[in-house]
Amino acid sequence: MISKILRKNTSGARLAGFVLSNFIGLVIVLGGLQFYLDAASIWNDSDSIVNSDYLVINKKVTSGNLLGGNDSGFSDSEIADLRRQPWVRNVGLFTSSDYRVLASIEGGRNGGRGMSTYMFFESIPDDFVDVSGSEWYYRPGSDEVPIILSKDYLTLYNFGFASSAGLPQLSEGLMSSIPLKLRLTSEDGTRTRTFNGRVAGFSNRLNTILVPLRFMEETNAELGGGEKRPPSRLIIDVSSPGDVAISDYLSAHDWETAGDKSASSAAFLLRVIVGIVLAIGGVITILSLFILLLSISLIMEKNRDKLHSLLMLGYELREVGRPYAVIAITVPLVALALALIATLCMRSFYMTPLSGLGAHPAGIWAVLATGLIMTIIIIAINLLTISRRVRASFYTSRH
Amino acid sequence: MNSITLDNTLPRVFVNERIPGSEVWNTRVRFERGNYYLVEATSGGGKSSMCSYIYGARTDYEGRILFDDTDTRSLDMKQWLRLRRSALAYLPQELSLFPELSARENIELKNSLTNHVPPRRVEEMLERLGIAFRADYPAGRLSIGQQQRVALIRSLCQPFDFILLDEPVSHLDPENNRIAAQLIMEEASRLGAGIISTSVGNHLNLDYHFKLRL
Repeated sequence: MISKILRKNTSGARLAGFVLSNFIGLVIVLGGLQFYLDAASIWNDSDSIVNSDYLVINKKVTSGNLLGGNDSGFSDSEIADLRRQPWVRNVGLFTSSDYRVLASIEGGRNGGRGMSTYMFFESIPDDFVDVSGSEWYYRPGSDEVPIILSKDYLTLYNFGFASSAGLPQLSEGLMSSIPLKLRLTSEDGTRTRTFNGRVAGFSNRLNTILVPLRFMEETNAELGGGEKRPPSRLIIDVSSPGDVAISDYLSAHDWETAGDKSASSAAFLLRVIVGIVLAIGGVITILSLFILLLSISLIMEKNRDKLHSLLMLGYELREVGRPYAVIAITVPLVALALALIATLCMRSFYMTPLSGLGAHPAGIWAVLATGLIMTIIIIAINLLTISRRVRASFYTSRH
Repeated sequence: MNSITLDNTLPRVFVNERIPGSEVWNTRVRFERGNYYLVEATSGGGKSSMCSYIYGARTDYEGRILFDDTDTRSLDMKQWLRLRRSALAYLPQELSLFPELSARENIELKNSLTNHVPPRRVEEMLERLGIAFRADYPAGRLSIGQQQRVALIRSLCQPFDFILLDEPVSHLDPENNRIAAQLIMEEASRLGAGIISTSVGNHLNLDYHFKLRL
């Protein structure tokens, strides 16, 4: 009977308006968030070896380099100047191997063909490599050495070479389990050492074959010509990969970033765009909160005399507020449920193309929790308003 | 609750006015349980204000109102609401019926809260006051006199130590006045309660122990 009295003047249109606007706001916030979480894995998860804040830079190869021969390395003064830039947190030098490397894979027991190839090694300081210490460890004197390969090499082999030469394709996991025979020979061919290589991981940010710096120092000392060459590539830890100052500085020096510099700027752009989208969704959600607040307040204002009369009869504050509390609780929950359904539908649309780009689906829990928290806040604010309105109608209105 | 005391109570609007000869305002008056009081007033004398103050619906007064020894200003909303279900009955002058509900539903709204009066007794009261045949009409479509009788029955649907009646029979003929008084007295004497009835002329037909001029 109380609901019958107090629900009078309830406007279905206003509540529907709230559901719609709250729904739109939540879909934008939750959909944007879910998309970001899903899409971020394209850049973040796919390279656990090297942090996305690292840039690899080198000098542009020009015909001048070819003729002059020696100018592709970074001089000490150039490196020192780079270190002084405000956006630089740390600079690491690439060290190249000063000897020849022949890598071979033994043929399998079923008479598979063995393969061998000449290659090279490079090293960067260990703190730039995000592989756990035990994986990325070379014990001096040991004959086993961990290697990080560029993912591009595996792609080249799998989709370029293997398919045209009729060789089996290799997965990352399989590649890591194949023992690699490494034969290191000094330039003059007088000294040789052999090692067992173990692939510790793949990186698509480093276009090189990486070995631990300690191994490099040891083998260079043993097999190298003793001549110290300036590094031709640098790895920089930057504070913000999307910073314009970085690209300005690099182009002013005619240097370029190697690997997929697009990744960091794309990730940065994604973050900015998602930020804007979330802000818009947030504003719409806040506006929708006001719609609900306003419509509940309006009903209660219109029914103020009835609320007062019920309190005069001795009805509890809670009982008098309940019909409105039911609206304030169910309506936002309906909007949330609709928004979650819409977000999941949206997700099933974009997930297929996104997976093609290498994204791993993120969980929906973060989005669920966000939606729930936002809805709980909306409900709490409304319940608070209802409670205040009920209390305000306790006294006679002329008072 | 055994007594209601108005201690130097005065509506704030009267503060700078002279109120000659009031036996309620600006003095000390004590309503005892079991006694019947008539508060006579002229229109604008503040009798509805007095009822609102005692019932906790307004607080714009100077001085104190005590329930036994408790200053009513110290009561919170929850305590007031409990008193309205268990100790204080009130028939407001404006009746405050819900016009969209039927007469019976209006009574039921209070009685379902207190479970005080058995349905048979409600029917009997409707019968005696001559409004049983209108019991299922929306209250808004009844005459003022009929509404007054519905509101009267509603005010009796709870246990009380005191019942405040603000011009309870202003729209009733002498016969209905007599029946109303009888019903009120039956309940009050059964509960040993006090009756405080106000009037600007048409008194509720009771044997009052005290008559006060407002």
